[in-house]
Amino acid sequence: MRSLLNFLLRYKTLILFIILEAVALVMITSSHNYHQSVAYRSARTVSGFFSKRIEKGQSYFRLRQVNQQLVTENLALKRRLEELSSVPGNGFTQVVDSVAGVNYTYMTARVINNSVNKQKNFITLDKGSGQGVKNGMGVASPEGVVGVVVGVSRNYSVAMSVLNTDFKLSASIARNDYFGSLAWDGRNYRNAQLSEIPHHVSISEGDTIVTSGYSAIFPPGLMAGTLTGDQKRGGDFLTLKVKLSVDFKKLTTVYLIYNISRNEREEVERKVINE
Amino acid sequence: MNNILKYIIAFVALIVVQLLIFNNIEFSGYVNPYVYVMFIVILPVSIPSWFLLILSFITGLVIDVFSGTMGVHAFATVMAGYMRPWILSLNVTAETAAGPDTSPSSQISGIRWFFVYTVTLVFIHHFTLFYIELFSLRSFFHTMLRVLLSTAFTTFFIILFDVLRPRK
Repeated sequence: MRSLLNFLLRYKTLILFIILEAVALVMITSSHNYHQSVAYRSARTVSGFFSKRIEKGQSYFRLRQVNQQLVTENLALKRRLEELSSVPGNGFTQVVDSVAGVNYTYMTARVINNSVNKQKNFITLDKGSGQGVKNGMGVASPEGVVGVVVGVSRNYSVAMSVLNTDFKLSASIARNDYFGSLAWDGRNYRNAQLSEIPHHVSISEGDTIVTSGYSAIFPPGLMAGTLTGDQKRGGDFLTLKVKLSVDFKKLTTVYLIYNISRNEREEVERKVINE
Repeated sequence: MNNILKYIIAFVALIVVQLLIFNNIEFSGYVNPYVYVMFIVILPVSIPSWFLLILSFITGLVIDVFSGTMGVHAFATVMAGYMRPWILSLNVTAETAAGPDTSPSSQISGIRWFFVYTVTLVFIHHFTLFYIELFSLRSFFHTMLRVLLSTAFTTFFIILFDVLRPRK
């Protein structure tokens, strides 16, 4: 008994070291499905409170650029409006298209915390379950795809950024509709990789990469990036380097995208696969 | 008493500087300075090792909570805290002469001593941090480059802060 006590006293630093590292490791591994962690959510609420105030101050310095962005988008919308209103009989009546089946609703949110310098980057938004944000909603900015909501608290939500090595997006080449999987390799925050493109597909520099719409999170045809022309051959497929259309360092306002018929779609897909 | 207050101020100041300034610094994804490690660098030489470990853990945890990386920083700071007595014992000469209650600094022990001590501690911290964050040995050399560059920057800033540190 006494020698056991002596042993513990002698190695108390080592034992404490092992205990603390074990605690940290448990925290790391359990944070992989961290949106279930209550501790994390409440911590987010606290840090969200501060981040919001910090962001408020910083946002003043970006006003000019945000204005520019809004003007550009306004222009695009106006053009679209013109196109729509010039088609006779296809004016402003809202068509609830139950045949095509896909209906998306949009909501704006502000980015109050964001990073680009980690391997697993997340974005904090100032809307939460109280405003109707749900897990799995898509996040996009006027320039293109940003991420997917993975955690929601009452007034804040956290989205997994495209700049997260766990993030995968079904994307296609707009010109010929070949689709592959878009993911980030954790290096440059301006580039991502589009993999699983067959060898015979003709590609050229500057080709637009858009969402394929196969995942029910994003509507098809949403901008993701452009090809830089760099490619890597591996096995049967090409991996193409994509310049992301969104500059994640300048992210301020984003849209949350909700697919109204998503549950229905996933249910029928699940049913068929399980049989 | 006065000393404890000083360390609390240093702790808060380093955390704030880290979160507001250094977390926003990023050069092409290679350089992420984590200067808050300075808190572990400047704790008194005579601090009991168990207490050093607990303070290291708390420091890492605070950074983790605010940057949303649960456990990653805590793991790295505890590792750095555990190695610190060992690093001090490797080149202890100048320090013991100044008395065990002093905090390691370039003014007391010379800039060369302080540099070797700081760079070793920062390297251990950054090495642990970046590989734990990745959680795999995928792209080993790319990560090593990030570790080395970030270590250089963090060390530079810690030495700068140390030179500018208020003296009694």
